[in-house]
Amino acid sequence: MIHETLLRVSLTAGYSTRRVLHEIRFELQRGEVLGLVGTSGAGKSTLVLSLLGLLPWRGGRVRGEVELNGRNLLALSERNLRRLRGREVALIPQSPMSALNSAITLERHFDEAWKAHETPGRGALASRLQQLLAEVQLPCNAEFLRRRPSQISVGQAQRVLIALALLHQPALIIADEPTSALDPVTQTQIVNLLRRLNRRHGVTLLYISHDLVSVLQLCDRLAVLSEGAIVESLPVDELSEARHEATLALLGALPVPAETLLAFRDRSTRDAIDLSGAANYQRQ
Amino acid sequence: MKLRPSAAWLLAVTILAAAIVLARPGASYSHQDRAEPLAAASTLHPAGTDALGRDRLTRVAAALLLSLVGATAAAAVTTLAAAGVGTLAAFAPASIGWPAMLLCDVFLALPWMFLLLMVRSALPLTTSPANSAAITFLVLAALGWPACARAVYRGALSLKRSAWMLHAHAAGLRGRQIVRYVLPNLIPLLLPQFLICVPTFVIAEANLGALGLGIGEPLPSWGGMLLELDNSAMLLQTRWVYFPVALLIAVLLLLEAVAVEA
Repeated sequence: MIHETLLRVSLTAGYSTRRVLHEIRFELQRGEVLGLVGTSGAGKSTLVLSLLGLLPWRGGRVRGEVELNGRNLLALSERNLRRLRGREVALIPQSPMSALNSAITLERHFDEAWKAHETPGRGALASRLQQLLAEVQLPCNAEFLRRRPSQISVGQAQRVLIALALLHQPALIIADEPTSALDPVTQTQIVNLLRRLNRRHGVTLLYISHDLVSVLQLCDRLAVLSEGAIVESLPVDELSEARHEATLALLGALPVPAETLLAFRDRSTRDAIDLSGAANYQRQ
Repeated sequence: MKLRPSAAWLLAVTILAAAIVLARPGASYSHQDRAEPLAAASTLHPAGTDALGRDRLTRVAAALLLSLVGATAAAAVTTLAAAGVGTLAAFAPASIGWPAMLLCDVFLALPWMFLLLMVRSALPLTTSPANSAAITFLVLAALGWPACARAVYRGALSLKRSAWMLHAHAAGLRGRQIVRYVLPNLIPLLLPQFLICVPTFVIAEANLGALGLGIGEPLPSWGGMLLELDNSAMLLQTRWVYFPVALLIAVLLLLEAVAVEA
């Protein structure tokens, strides 16, 4: 794989009264999945808002650079920034139920997200939807799309949000604790879905989480965020090299040793590939 | 049992009955039957007559419809004004939002009863009854919007800070798309405000009328009919003088029951 830097971040951010992120620096290669791990209050949500240029909207300030494809997002005007949001960088939010607008149908969600960046045209959206909903394993029929967010399950809501993020085939997807509101079974399904999107379609993913288990299942590389700074960054396969106390504390909190989880990941990837044919067969 | 639908039905039936009473041939809320002042119930006057010999049933029916139409219109004006100010204050930058909410606070702090007395006494005595009714409800609407706007402002602020709003911005939605996104969410915010305002305005009009500041005679109003009750000699003559106040309480109960969130 040719390593090509997609995202280069170097920023300081905070609110009027306190600084939350100090000199955050990291890079993301095209096609890579980077897991950004940190305890609650480490500044994960502030980082997400900073990367999307949405921190001022929440009353915060950000300095530095967020370079996506060589272009500094923080130097762009709000007008140009809007054009990038959703089209070149998309967000999978934390709590799927509250991230969907309860007053409108799922179809309207896709409609509006489409119109934000494309000329309105029913045909193009319809065919893209067909493809997308199959990709995230949601039913693609008019009845399902007419439902409101309250009429679907949390797992389905998260799949809808993933489909929304994929809609314009963005170069980068930021997943902000996408599994934290889900039950363990749905969590695993969503992590598997994200992994499949990365492996099959080369989606570049910044996976932010406090759940090291899902990070180990999904990510190529791990960066540890502690007290507003990135204290350690290393490939998931080299976790035994970890030295920083925040990383060691996270590893110590795992229910089973990291090596066991990684071995399990490799096995389940193989099984998933073997089983996907069988599952398709059974569905027919 | 669900209270709300039954209350709505009962209210509809009451309104329909009032309309039929008013529409029946020979019905007049101002015609004075000089021979029969303060009469008890009869076939000609099913609820008796008042001190001027006017048919009480017709007057009650007219007062009911007038106060409901007026209160509903005033509630609509109040809700719209509150929706405008409240959402603007919530979504606009602080330099606009802050003064807008300050204006609400100032309005809430004004000595309203005193101002009302001033406004009404400033009007010429020749003000027609229809104009006095319009002015009464206009004043009520002007009085009601700030409290309403505060409630809408709080609701709109939580919409602004909601996770789906953040997601809409993160998806790159345009400004006018965001507005379209928000509008359907305002309805559950505004409808209760509107429904609460209606009974409040009905009773406010009754209170103003009882002070002589409401709708002018000969137009019938709850307040005007409540005035009858301060004459104890009249109370002894016929029990029917209690009919308007009993119906007013019943209508208010129904309106409150409709306003209660299902």
